[in-house]
Amino acid sequence: MTAPRFDELIHPSTRLSIVALLAAADWSDFSFVRDRLDLSDSALSKQLSTLEGAGYVAVDRPLVGRRRRVRARLTATGRAAFEGHVAALRAVIESADPTAADEGPTGRGEAADAAPMR
Amino acid sequence: MTPDISPTEARLALGTVEHRRQQVVDEIDMPRWYWWGLAVAWVALGVVVDLGNPVATTIVTLAFGAVHAAVAQRVLSGRHRTRGVSVRAELANRHIPALVIGYVLALGALTTALGFLAAADGAAHPTTMAGVVAGLALALGGPDLMAWARRRGAGGDA
Repeated sequence: MTAPRFDELIHPSTRLSIVALLAAADWSDFSFVRDRLDLSDSALSKQLSTLEGAGYVAVDRPLVGRRRRVRARLTATGRAAFEGHVAALRAVIESADPTAADEGPTGRGEAADAAPMR
Repeated sequence: MTPDISPTEARLALGTVEHRRQQVVDEIDMPRWYWWGLAVAWVALGVVVDLGNPVATTIVTLAFGAVHAAVAQRVLSGRHRTRGVSVRAELANRHIPALVIGYVLALGALTTALGFLAAADGAAHPTTMAGVVAGLALALGGPDLMAWARRRGAGGDA
């Protein structure tokens, strides 16, 4: 069980979306993240730089075919921070409603009732 | 540290997390080209069998098996539908490879049965006909099979 640890860097909705997307993947293309989050190149670059600076995200530029791709992935530090943050969010809900059941590692049951933030 | 956020805000944040996770889960699939490639190869194999040349049939069958084994190695997990993302292993239904292989083997048995039936009925090209039926089942049914596997639950048991 991951210890709850609220992370101010991850919590803003755009960064939370980026980290949540990357947490579900081994790696993701820059364009995949950009398109799913409907962000501009510069907005995503800025957020990735912030996360990279904190050591949460690594950005690689592998050569695939004849094109160089930009791929982002969560580091072990980033994954631990994300899991701690999710645990902290669940703890907030459970402290307000102690009957809230544990419904999975990402709180799927709780999450399913809530509309996603942008 | 106790976060200074309300339960409502925490629920919204968890909703975001789940929504983004689901966007990645939605990528669990086989590439379309896999199903269409397999369907075309299946029909081609049927045509070669109907030509009645045992050497050609053996060579094409072995080539088919070798190419499929090489391709399937990469795509059979369902985690690499596109070059855009590699879905984490724990999110993909771990029974997907067995499901796909089982489907392909079942269609192999169906092709054989249909081929014998068509031959008994005096069809001119029984294996080609059976191959077309199986090919259509692959090209049209394969994506539905994967959609079913996704619905059965990411990381869950099929």
